[in-house]
Amino acid sequence: MAETQSKVRLREYETLFLVRQELTDEQVDKLRERARGIVDREGGKLLRFVTTGKKKTSFPIVKSNRAIYVHAHYLGDNKLVAELERNLRNIDEVTRYLTLKLADEVDPETRPVLEDVKVAGDEEMRPAGEGEARQESSERAPRQDSTERSAPAPEAKA
Amino acid sequence: MTVNEKITLATATRPPSPERAERAADRGAERGGERGDDDKRGGRGFGRKKVCRFCADRDLVVDFKDQATLKYFVTERGKIIPRRISGNCALHQRDVAKAIKRARGVALLPYQAVVG
Repeated sequence: MAETQSKVRLREYETLFLVRQELTDEQVDKLRERARGIVDREGGKLLRFVTTGKKKTSFPIVKSNRAIYVHAHYLGDNKLVAELERNLRNIDEVTRYLTLKLADEVDPETRPVLEDVKVAGDEEMRPAGEGEARQESSERAPRQDSTERSAPAPEAKA
Repeated sequence: MTVNEKITLATATRPPSPERAERAADRGAERGGERGDDDKRGGRGFGRKKVCRFCADRDLVVDFKDQATLKYFVTERGKIIPRRISGNCALHQRDVAKAIKRARGVALLPYQAVVG
């Protein structure tokens, strides 16, 4: 019993929050680092951030049909969650957030810290002129449209 | 005239209520007939003995972020499809409903979609 009492057991949470689409990547990174700082300060362990590019929302949020989705997976206690949500509420750029508890009594050592992932957003909604945004997306979901767009580009350069 | 005949005559002369008409349309949808309402997505072509998709595949987890899977449990108008049509077991239907409501909150699924 003494061994289990000395070991720290944390709860596993995930928080998904929506950010306004006008924000640049740097500003989103700043938000992420701020969240990371809060998790570290309150004695939690951040496992991974998954940032999705501009994604079309099902209904307009803050008069905009697109938003950036950021998903945080972390370990912590209820005070950490309260602090994180309080901060998210105060930030104007964060429009929605949702926190879920995934598991109780998780040993932090068993969960490795994974790399942050950036997923491409909905590119179908973007007009053809926004070429920069397409270049920024590192990972793409397999789609016929993206392969068709990428195929003629090398031929044009040649 | 027996009691049953009297009841049958009384119900036959009464005009059908809108709820009864909708339920009749649902029954048509369940049988896979042409009377099925188009709004009840998945009503046509679904057999009566439909297996729960999540029970069949243990790796498939109900996740509110998984819009690609959840959209099959929602009609075109955004309404949750009932269990008798989607084929889910009771446990997974509850999980799916909860996931859909969470997804609606973060705008991954609509509360009310515009058809057409």
